[in-house]
Parts: sequence; structure tokens; C-alpha cells
Amino acid sequence: MSIHEIIVGYVPLTDAAPLIVAKEKGIFKKYGLAVELSRENSWSQIRDKLAVGAIDAAHLLAPMTPSSWLPGAYSNERFVTALAFNLNGNAITVSERLYQEMVDADPDAMFERPTSARALRKVIAKRLVDGRETLAVGAVFPFSSHNYVLRYWLGAEGLNPDRDVRMVVAPPPLMVDQLERGMIDVFCVGEPWNTVAEYRGSGRAIIRSADVWRHMPEKVLGVRESWAASNNERHLALVTAVLEALCWLDDRANRDEAAFLLAQENYLNIPATLLRPALTGKGALSNRCSIVETDDFLIFHHYAANFPWRSHALWFLTQMARWGQIEDTVNLYDIAHSCYQPEIYRKAAAALGIAAPLIDEKPEGTSDRAWLLSEATAPVVMPPSAFIDGGIFTPETSHAYIEQFMRHNIRVDLSMLFAGD
Amino acid sequence: MGKPVDTPLIVLLIDSKPERARIVEAGLKGAAVVKPASALHGVDLLSVVEQLQPDAIIIDCDSPDRDTIENLQLVARKNPKPIVMFVENGDGALAKEAVRAGVSAYIVDGLSEKRVLPVLEIAIERFKMFDALWRDLEQSKRDLEARKVIEKAKGVLMHKRQLSENEAYAAMRSMAMKQGKTIKEVADNILSVASLFEG
Repeated sequence: MSIHEIIVGYVPLTDAAPLIVAKEKGIFKKYGLAVELSRENSWSQIRDKLAVGAIDAAHLLAPMTPSSWLPGAYSNERFVTALAFNLNGNAITVSERLYQEMVDADPDAMFERPTSARALRKVIAKRLVDGRETLAVGAVFPFSSHNYVLRYWLGAEGLNPDRDVRMVVAPPPLMVDQLERGMIDVFCVGEPWNTVAEYRGSGRAIIRSADVWRHMPEKVLGVRESWAASNNERHLALVTAVLEALCWLDDRANRDEAAFLLAQENYLNIPATLLRPALTGKGALSNRCSIVETDDFLIFHHYAANFPWRSHALWFLTQMARWGQIEDTVNLYDIAHSCYQPEIYRKAAAALGIAAPLIDEKPEGTSDRAWLLSEATAPVVMPPSAFIDGGIFTPETSHAYIEQFMRHNIRVDLSMLFAGD
Repeated sequence: MGKPVDTPLIVLLIDSKPERARIVEAGLKGAAVVKPASALHGVDLLSVVEQLQPDAIIIDCDSPDRDTIENLQLVARKNPKPIVMFVENGDGALAKEAVRAGVSAYIVDGLSEKRVLPVLEIAIERFKMFDALWRDLEQSKRDLEARKVIEKAKGVLMHKRQLSENEAYAAMRSMAMKQGKTIKEVADNILSVASLFEG
């Protein structure tokens, strides 16, 4: 088999694991790929490099794939994906000082699980009445699950993120530092940064993204649409290799080794002890348990976690419309259909003997317990998918779904986004 | 156009490579004041932009702060500034992509001192053209939105404090003057407080 050179970009986060594992465990090589991993410092840089072909594939925030198809997207290149990396993996952390304020404002709300933004709302209301600055809320990128989770969580308690708080963007490695110095009061990031805040005693992880929307999609393997079209075999080999790495990661017996691989200087360059809580569910804190330390904090493969559900792309698009990131007429169904490529996933899964869904879309928020998907090459156990506010998303009724949100910043005529309604 | 010639430009430099900073400073000597911000990141950087009100921002394409600056520029559109980006030699395509993403101009590594000022001036001109177009488009949208928000806030005041329409508007105007805010900002605040206490 001939060797293909491929450069794959990633941002140093725990969920870049499948790329690092595929490289270090020789899985890329097994599929005839010579992969060079390129560590990048920002999502803007990943996007630009992928668009111009300085990298061939990338660890992408899932919403960056559909967002590249929007009119007026920064790039002329459109991104597609045939493989999702993981479900869950982020958390919302507040500064220790704000945590105390929230407990004082509404102790009951802080002991509820999942923790709502009710106490936060009281703190913000008090600040505004006292004529003080509102809180600064940090997300990692405008087109990120982090941004939508924060906004969903705030919106569910009647807070308007564009008016009642100050939304800012900061790189994940700097969030903790900014939290400690009071520049940011709340943030939503991936691991290990929630753990780092707790470990240093400067922040409290109060709710997992997985509690705002259970088993929500997080990162994907993104490529250019044009590259995928002209490199069918290479793309399939890449998807198959990373999928094999994801299966390896799904086995919890391998997670300690994964933490060790990721910790290395040329990858995350972060002590393995700080990576282990999210990967292994084992504690970083001596005095209490962190919400990060659960069995399902990061799901790398089971629950059909790697399948590129077109309904996931569509959900992200509904949130872009809800929060004013879509201002022009464009068909959201068409974008969701074009940017996620389940057919390629099915081929890779077949090569590895893994069961794959035969449908491309599923409703979300309809099930609060695990269920069995029979429309698959073999039955697949599927996860609960509840939203914190009990909301239900069905792909066919996306228009009505966006309209029912009490808090929004819609800047487009919604009827224009769903021509096939 | 723009500033009178005798006022030096203020340039914020976000770059960790001292040799490039030297080239920029030498190239802009007499024409601009260069404020290096290599030690500042994230939200700190936002407050520096706010306080300094630079005429342009020069940033390394590899900087971890690119997402923060890009969000400020393109999404929040708060105080947008022309951006000039450093790119590695031979990464011309990347530079073009960055320009499409809202960067006004770029400096390729190894640029001579003499070229720094012209690049900066072109960036500022390009930015002004783009920004003027954008502002025209956005202004009407904002006016309409502001009017809606002010009307709503007026309604809240009339209802909560039993004021007439004129009294409610006068109350908002005096709040705005006292707090040094626009009426729209005061209206936003009234709506925030009202909605946060309801239900």
C-alpha cells in the first residue's frame, strides 16, 4: 500500500485524544497513512489553515462545520465531516467568589442537580439594581457548543445572554487565569480546564454541558468539501483509523495510558494527573468529588457517539439562528444535509465490523433513559438526550423549535430558512 | 483623510517575538506609537483595546488570542479596529484567508522596516472603507431595534411606577445623563432588571 502524507491540525484539549492515540499507537500507519499532527493555538487559525490547505483535516468544534456553509462565512471553503469525536466533555465553571454569592442568593438552587442558572439570575439582578457591572461570561469561540450551551443554560432561566451578561471569547488555557483575576466570572470550556480551576481552588465546576443537553455532540473530524470529494480513499482511511482509535479510547482500561500519551510535551504538555479525572473518572481533588469525575464525562464511542447525525448539525444551526448568527436567507436543511456525511461513516464502520445507524436524523430531548436503535446494521444502544428545560427538538419542526424560545436574538425571517417546511 | 498628520498613530502589537517587534518599532518610528501587549491575553487584551483605542492592531497569526480579537471584531463588533497579521514566510495563502476572515492586511516574516508603515496605512484605509459600508448597513437595523427597546422600557416604567409616557421618557433620559449612558443602554438595563425579577 502506498503511503499518503496527511497533516491534521488540533487544539491541545483532552478530546484531541483520538488523533494523538491514532498517531502514537500506529493506527494511522496501519491504514497506509503518514499523518503529521500540527498543534494550533486558536480555532481561527485551525479554520484558516484548513481552508487554505495548510492542513488537510482538523479537530474541529462541531458547529464550525455547518457555520462554514453560511452566506458571509469568513472562508470560501466549506467544511464537511464524516466522523464525530465525542459526546459531552465540557462544563460550566464559576469563580469561587461567584459560587459563594450564588449560594447566598439561592442555596436551594445550588443544591439542585442539574444546577440551573436561577441563583446566577438573582446575583445578576442584584448587581444591576446596585448599579454594578454585570458578569463576564467566557466561551471559547462564537461557533462552539460551549457558546450554545452557556446561552441555552442562561436562556432557560430567562436570562438574555446578549443583554444581561457580557459574553467574551478567550482561549481555554487562559480561562482559569482570567477567572482568578476576576476578568471572567463564568466560563464553559473542555477539559482539563475545569479540573485545573478546581484543583487550584479558584473555581467550581457547577454543571456539565451534558446536563444542559444530555449527550450532546462536541468535536468532529473536519475536512474541506473539495478535499473529501477528490480524496475518497484517503478520507475513508483517515475516518477508519480515527474511528479505531476512538474504539480503543472507549475502553476505560486504556484511559490511563491515553492520559499519559496526551500529557507529553509535544501534545498537551499538561500533567497527566490533571487529565485523568475527565478520562478515568478518578479524582484530582482530595477534599471533595468534582462533577467531572463521572463515568460518562467523555464518551468516545458507544451510544453511536461517532456517527455524524445530520440532526446534530441542524440543532447547531437552529441555535445560530436563535442567537442572531444567521442574518441572510439560506436553507438550513440543505446545509445540515451537505456538511455531515454519514455514508462515509457507514463504510468505515463496516470495515471495522461496527454497527452503524441506518437513519441520518433523530429527535433530541425525547428520551430520559437509554434506548435501542433498531434502524441500524445491528441494534445500537442509544443515550438519553434530555434538555435541562425539558425541550424537545424534532428535525422536521425546526422552524417552530426556534420560534418557541422565550429568549433569543433572531435577526432573520425564520420562514426563509426552511424552504422545505 | 482621517487623523491630522501630526498625531501619531497608536498601534497595539500582540506578538511574542521580540525581533519582529523591533522591526515594527523601527519602521514606525516618528509615525506611530507602538504599544506591545505580549504579556496580556484574553479579556485583559479587550480592556487594553478599550482604553488604548488603538488605530490598528498587529497580531501574530499563531497567537492564542486570535479567537478573542476576531470575536471582538467580527461578532461583537465592539470598537472594531484594523488588524494587521504576521504570517510566516511562504504562507501567502494563509494570509489571504485571514484577510477574508476580516484581517485588513498582513506582514510576511522578514519584512523590511521600510514596508511596515505603508502596509499599516493600507490596512487602515481598507478597514475604513469596509467599516463605512458595514456601518451604513447596520445603522438602520440598530435604530429600529433601539426604538423598539426604548418603547418597551418606557412601557415598563409607566406600568411599574405609574408614570405618563412623557414622564417615563424624561426619567430614562435623566438616568442616561446621570450614568453617562445612551437611552438605549438605560432601556436595556430596565428590561434586564424587569425580566430578571419577573416569575
